[in-house]
Amino acid sequence: MLKLIQNEWMKLWAKKGTWIMTLLLIAIVIGLMGLTKWINSQNTTEPTDWKTNVQEQLKITNETLQMDLPKSERKQTEETAKILEYRLDQNVPPLAQDSRESMIINPVGIGSLVVLLTVIVAAGIVASEFSQGTIKMLLTRPVKRWKVMTSKYITVLLFGMLLMLIGFVVTIACAYILFPSGGGQELKMDGNAIVSVPVWGHGLYLLILSFANVIITATFAFMIGSVFRSNGMAIGLSLFIFFTGNTIVLLLSNYEIVKYLVFTHMDLTVYEMGQPFVEGMTMPFSLTVLVVYLVVFLVISYSVFTKRDITA
Amino acid sequence: MIIKPIVELKNLTKVIGNKKIIDDLNLSLYPGQITGFLGPNGAGKTTTIRMMVGLMKRTSGEILIDGKPLSEDFEEGLSKIGVIVENPEMYKFMTGYKNLLHFARMQSDISKERIDEVISQVGLEQRIHEKVSTYSLGMRQRLGLAQALLHRPEFLILDEPTNGLDPAGIREFRQYLREIAATENVSVFVSSHMLSEIELMCDRIAVIQNGKLVDIQDMTEPVQSHYYLEASPAEDAQELLLSKGFIVETMPVGLLLQAEKSQIPAIVQLLTANGIQVFAVQPHRKTLEDQFLEMTGGGQIAEAHTK
Repeated sequence: MLKLIQNEWMKLWAKKGTWIMTLLLIAIVIGLMGLTKWINSQNTTEPTDWKTNVQEQLKITNETLQMDLPKSERKQTEETAKILEYRLDQNVPPLAQDSRESMIINPVGIGSLVVLLTVIVAAGIVASEFSQGTIKMLLTRPVKRWKVMTSKYITVLLFGMLLMLIGFVVTIACAYILFPSGGGQELKMDGNAIVSVPVWGHGLYLLILSFANVIITATFAFMIGSVFRSNGMAIGLSLFIFFTGNTIVLLLSNYEIVKYLVFTHMDLTVYEMGQPFVEGMTMPFSLTVLVVYLVVFLVISYSVFTKRDITA
Repeated sequence: MIIKPIVELKNLTKVIGNKKIIDDLNLSLYPGQITGFLGPNGAGKTTTIRMMVGLMKRTSGEILIDGKPLSEDFEEGLSKIGVIVENPEMYKFMTGYKNLLHFARMQSDISKERIDEVISQVGLEQRIHEKVSTYSLGMRQRLGLAQALLHRPEFLILDEPTNGLDPAGIREFRQYLREIAATENVSVFVSSHMLSEIELMCDRIAVIQNGKLVDIQDMTEPVQSHYYLEASPAEDAQELLLSKGFIVETMPVGLLLQAEKSQIPAIVQLLTANGIQVFAVQPHRKTLEDQFLEMTGGGQIAEAHTK
């Protein structure tokens, strides 16, 4: 199996497109960070005192609490208020907008970029064997088809992980080069206590959460690619789902069925960053739904691929 | 001693939709023998071959590789087979060497030395580290052969192997197949449309039509000797020879006479003595094409073509 993965990895990187995608990722991350730096440098207004800002935020938050809020949103807002009060009491400034730490702590943008690029690889890894005609060379070896399939799937996941890692490393490098370290701290509620959030750990955690999206979208592309043997269709459909998912969730948000749609659960970072789309969703529930979809996608891919007559 | 067949097809059947593509096919292939696989377009050659190498599933029947059913141990069966299915499509974006490395990794225990050995066998040393996209068709065919030979197969299946090769390439390829069949005792199974090709290459031919095996013939069998005779008036000549008990057929021009070489002088004398002018007498070999058309019925090919 290791040799098969080695093969897929070799084929992957022998294609120019793979290198271009990787360089593109690096370029976009650097570009975005540079842009942020530039926008910040254009902003010449006198930096206001953080305490004034926090006081203002607290005022708004308290006003929000006067309104009629859904239960989960109320809890959320109350927590926000508590943290803001704590900052004022204990004199703990928040992370400055343009500080090194605030860049590292929130690297979710990488997630969406990696989804796009991984989908391209996942869509093509089976479909391209058919379009090149190499499938009949590949499957006339003394290796069972499910093993070939598994090596391809693992290669897609490894590629996604590698891109995530590259994106994160580039982000960190840019953060160190372009942005000064700021003094503040990120805080969160842990039960009833307020604790500070470790910058690196939290960044990495968000990255792992956004990797769930990479896995599910790539697996979908992998399935379409191996069932329809069409690279373009797989990329098209997967990206369509990736981009319209939220709209569909919004449209159906009043119906019970929305809970069981894959779109609702693709972005796990919502549990860290704020509100889940749908009232009452929890992380374990989302994970369960995602795993069910994942299994269905894989079962379809494998059963079609291992049974198919190769006539290409 | 009876030689054990390396491959046996037993009652092999393939149904697609409600059409029987392959109908109850039985065939044994032996070590050291080159078997040609002939048939009109759409007769089921490629389907048969694809079932033998695991690209298609059979509907019923069994494929035995070295006595073991392929369905029971696919990996062991396939490790004994080298395959070129139609044009060997390689990964064009990789070098020839990486392509071979790729296929070597899918077999067990192929050393770097073995890869180098095969490369020099097919004569690709000079260009092996260049991308396949820069290769000519002939070089791709050589690379295709190299990948099929990597694991020293006992059985080699070639589907239309000389597609696109130039005459020199075809000749070289043919000699090469003869050589490995003779020296390494490999059983070779070649499907082709090129009858003259098969004729020169094979020890035995199997003819398939409409999914059924029509005939198996040994090419080494002595062929009845025929002579082409051009004489005038032809009708008289034919009558005369028939009356003497010879078998004579009319050809578009002249006659086809079945006779031994030793009888020819007497025949010529007989004809001239009867006032028949003889213009030409030459040995005539029934080509495989003639036999093939006889076996399958010429019209069938045209019919299959128009499908």
